Amino acid sequence: MENRTKYLFLTGFCLAQVMAFTPNVFAAEESDRDDRPLIEPDVKPVPVDEALIDTENFEIGAFVGVLNIEDFESSMVYGGKLTYHLSESFFFEAGIGFAEGGETSFENLAGNVQVLADGERDYQYYNINLGYNILPGEAFLTENYAFNTNFYLIAGAGATDFGGDTRFTLNAGAGYQILLTDSLSIHLGVRQHYYRIDVVGAEKTSMNTEISSGLSVFF
Amino acid sequence: MPIAILILMLCLPVTAWAGWLWGDDEPAPRAQVVEPFVVWRTGPAVGYPVFHSSEKGEWLSLLQRKTGWMKVRDDKGREGWVAVAAIAQTRDATGEMVNLSVPDLEAFSNRTLESGLMMGEFEGASVISGYGGWWFTPNLAAELWGSQVLGSASEILMVNANIVHQPFPHWRVSPYFTLGAGHIWVDPKATLAVPEERDNPIAHAGLGLRVYITDRYFIRAEFKDYKVFTSRSTNEEATEWKIGLSIFF
Repeated sequence: MENRTKYLFLTGFCLAQVMAFTPNVFAAEESDRDDRPLIEPDVKPVPVDEALIDTENFEIGAFVGVLNIEDFESSMVYGGKLTYHLSESFFFEAGIGFAEGGETSFENLAGNVQVLADGERDYQYYNINLGYNILPGEAFLTENYAFNTNFYLIAGAGATDFGGDTRFTLNAGAGYQILLTDSLSIHLGVRQHYYRIDVVGAEKTSMNTEISSGLSVFF
Repeated sequence: MPIAILILMLCLPVTAWAGWLWGDDEPAPRAQVVEPFVVWRTGPAVGYPVFHSSEKGEWLSLLQRKTGWMKVRDDKGREGWVAVAAIAQTRDATGEMVNLSVPDLEAFSNRTLESGLMMGEFEGASVISGYGGWWFTPNLAAELWGSQVLGSASEILMVNANIVHQPFPHWRVSPYFTLGAGHIWVDPKATLAVPEERDNPIAHAGLGLRVYITDRYFIRAEFKDYKVFTSRSTNEEATEWKIGLSIFF
């Protein structure tokens, strides 16, 4: 509206000026006219090169948390993630994680028994997942200061190396992402890992819950 | 060792940090809005609220892009996100059309590189695969695959190189044929009585389908028939099907 008003007034003003001075200008010799502007602009217009615009669709990060390994106590888990954002909603995530299994109740009670050798207690996994930002939003720290956030659902598959074998592993979960800046974000996540294992008796589905927090950088 | 890898991973995006440390000296490219108006959102998704709009003729500095969204700054220093599609047909300071790229079916037909992840079944066991491909003509591509098969009896690693031919590159649903060769490593489970490690050359033939969805990604599904060349008197055969999501450039 303001622009409109300015526009009307300025056009009117300019027209009046033109009317007032035009006869004088035309009265002067045509050949003497100089079309060059009085002050040459020092800045050259720069064309937009799309390749120079920073594209931030990748995200890399590290996380740390607690992993409950079924039958083998809970353990600290840490790892890394590489994410590619396909669109505003969907993203690919590849992750690796490391933890260590503790002792089963049987080992604790029976005393000098070992179900697994020490090296077999190292728990490593990788997974590739598809995530969906289901609830993008803003979290207000103060009245005027807000962080962009995302609540996302994620699921995928991968492999877990534990107890002397590598096992096909499904995982599903959810996470909350808080973008501190456009390039830096905090993740809080819960993930459930499922695989078949026969280390303690009959083969069964092992369900391992992971709760983690992480930091990631967009690039 | 894993910690060292993680630290290294965090150091990789140094370009992201460099901007903060030394500041960006280069002025951001500017473009003029040619649509009647464009709306600004607080974040790079339609889920974020609209808080401002720019009218035709306004100049916007293009700061950064995330998926289909561009972060812009106007002359008063305000910052926000506008859809790339809404400002794709804009003009720069020289008066030229900017033509910001919005990937579409035509870009899909003219792709030169693609990469994706697929999952499925290899002889009844779960298979996870990743691949990269290069199109040297619109119809022919060379691909490199890595697969991990996790079954109840063994773990298999497989590496394959193959040639892909698609007869109809301009179709949204595009079928293809493939032929290739590679190597397979079979590692039986530790709990089995007589573990026997094997590695053999393999060859395969297959057919599949690509379905372009939107933006920069498509679904790919395929069926492959493998021949494993063993040192025993008979060769083995294995079938595999997979489905997955790929991106192209």
